[in-house]
Amino acid sequence: MRILLVEDEAALRETLAARLKREGFAVDAAADGEDGLFLGREMPFDVGIIDLGLPKMPGIELIKKLREEGKTFPILILTARSSWQDKVEGLKVGADDFLVKPFHVEELMARINALMRRAAGWSRPILECGPVALDTTAQTVTLGGQIVELTSYEYKVLEYLMLHAGELVSKTDLTEHIYQQDFDRDSNVLEVFIGRLRKKLDPEASLKPIETVRGRGYRFAIPRNS
Amino acid sequence: MGRPDPQTRTAPRPSEVSARRPWSLQARSLVASIIFLAAFLGITFLALDRAFYQSSVAQLEERLKAYALAFFAGSDLNVRGQLILPDAMPDARFIRPGSGLYAGVVGRDFYWESPSSMGRELPFELKLERGAERFVGPIDSNVGGVYVYSYGVSWADRRGEAQNYTFHIAEHEEALDAQRAVFQRTLGTRLLMMGVALLALQLLVLRWSLTPLRKVEQDLARVERGQSDHLPRHYPRELEGLTTSLNDFIESERERRERQRNVLGDLAHSLKTPLAVIRGEIESADSGATSVRQTIEGQVRRMEAIVEHQLTRAVTSGHQPFASAVDVERPAAEIVTSLEKLHAERNILCEFELDPQARFYGETGDLMEVLGNLLENAFKWARHSVWLTTRRVTGPGSRRPGLEIVVEDDGTGINADQIDQVLKRGVRGDERVPGHGIGLSIVQDIVRAHRGTLTVDRSAELGGARFRVRFEPH
Repeated sequence: MRILLVEDEAALRETLAARLKREGFAVDAAADGEDGLFLGREMPFDVGIIDLGLPKMPGIELIKKLREEGKTFPILILTARSSWQDKVEGLKVGADDFLVKPFHVEELMARINALMRRAAGWSRPILECGPVALDTTAQTVTLGGQIVELTSYEYKVLEYLMLHAGELVSKTDLTEHIYQQDFDRDSNVLEVFIGRLRKKLDPEASLKPIETVRGRGYRFAIPRNS
Repeated sequence: MGRPDPQTRTAPRPSEVSARRPWSLQARSLVASIIFLAAFLGITFLALDRAFYQSSVAQLEERLKAYALAFFAGSDLNVRGQLILPDAMPDARFIRPGSGLYAGVVGRDFYWESPSSMGRELPFELKLERGAERFVGPIDSNVGGVYVYSYGVSWADRRGEAQNYTFHIAEHEEALDAQRAVFQRTLGTRLLMMGVALLALQLLVLRWSLTPLRKVEQDLARVERGQSDHLPRHYPRELEGLTTSLNDFIESERERRERQRNVLGDLAHSLKTPLAVIRGEIESADSGATSVRQTIEGQVRRMEAIVEHQLTRAVTSGHQPFASAVDVERPAAEIVTSLEKLHAERNILCEFELDPQARFYGETGDLMEVLGNLLENAFKWARHSVWLTTRRVTGPGSRRPGLEIVVEDDGTGINADQIDQVLKRGVRGDERVPGHGIGLSIVQDIVRAHRGTLTVDRSAELGGARFRVRFEPH
């Protein structure tokens, strides 16, 4: 999942970015509002973490502009100002959640996961499609109740596909959302992951969880459990 | 140890110590006007009266002189050298006894008086040289006060000797007096009417002149009611000093609060970010330094709580006599929308009954802190339902209406014995839901600073906790 992080305090920004990357996110960071807007336009993001007190363009304005330009990814506001006036204003211009500094990073992670889930239409932390269940908080996958061992990248690919279960996900989408900017993108690697996922999730080739749409991308074919 | 209750007063205010209030401007003006008008009109009356009198007397003299000349013209010496007076009198009153108009002629051995003078012994003794005249009066006589005109003449008799005679005409003063009385009555009445009219006019002019003062009073009342946030600029020169000063005061108070808020906000901001960095460090530190880490973590958490708490305490401006009225409905609706967004996953339904006339007299930020924290608490504890009610409270003769805010939830509620604990500053009712304690203490601080009350009990309909904030009208 790709995160847009806009925070002017260098120490905090670097600490957060490092932690988010460790958690498996692809992170693009900016130190001011203008940079943040530029990044927001250039890349597709799954979630944004935006500080309110930014130089060059205040956070509120940045959020407003992103929304005006049709960016619908969920945004979490990070700020030292905890007054209700700021909270309400931030949520009014289009943010989805609000976290007051200082905060526990665990809290931040939980909120971000919740935001991404909700944005994809899942109202609970466990994504279930047929016998396949992916727990976004525990970061585990079970097949009919049995845990399936996945590497972190395999997990990320599966998570992205299941979040968008039923929707077409292009290869570019997958690579952009899974990989850090400075990684080499090699779409063959993606096919390898998909192949391995198929083997692990569907050993008897009966379930066919992941469908290849020739020339366009992939789709997680098992519908969501209601 | 707490702050002294702002409601008690330990010393009488200065205005209560002085015994008498100074006169109102209107009373001063009225009394001064009456005195001045009385004096001025009195002098006018006397002057006019005197002028009239002198004019009347002069006219009287002319009239008497004319009578004298008439008599003289009609008189002549006969062949024996005796003065013969005309039969026809210049005026009928000379004939009628006691008419008030008398004539007499005095010579060397001669005395004549008009029929009206018969038996009345008028002061006709004076003998004058030829051509001499005299006018006196009023002098006392047997018939009362009279004005006497005397004129000396002489005829040459047959022998050529001059015979001197003096003609006297006297008129009773009552005619003149009566005329004067009429004049005085008329003048007096007219002057009195004029005086009253002038006083009335004076009062009107005074009222008109004082209108700006009344306007200042009304404008101040509007500012206090929150309908305006400063005094308008157009006042008479004399009041400008006062109103400009008042506006400066209002403005500088605002600026002071703004400054205070900014300074403290900056302070807290600058503290919070290093705290955030420390926290980040702690969370990425080795697990080998666990105890040190736990200590630091505990301290950091405490510092965060202190900063949060003190910032909100210091930033609320409390009760202000010149605060504008803030609409309650819109901020409340916005906060509910925000909370529904933040708690979207829990499917909590917030019903609200918002009085569109409800007003809060203070800063919007303070109102939102009260609403936000109470509602956030309710959302955290509720199972499915939160109720918000806002209501305008009116009181007899109050300039500002009061406000009541009630927040109820259908959670587990707060036990009676826990209520005290929860309301004590900084103490959390239940650690299960973090952040419960600080939010409530912020609400308490703001409510108290605005001289309001916060009560906690059980919601009758929902079964959970009910928080009631009440600001009385005043």
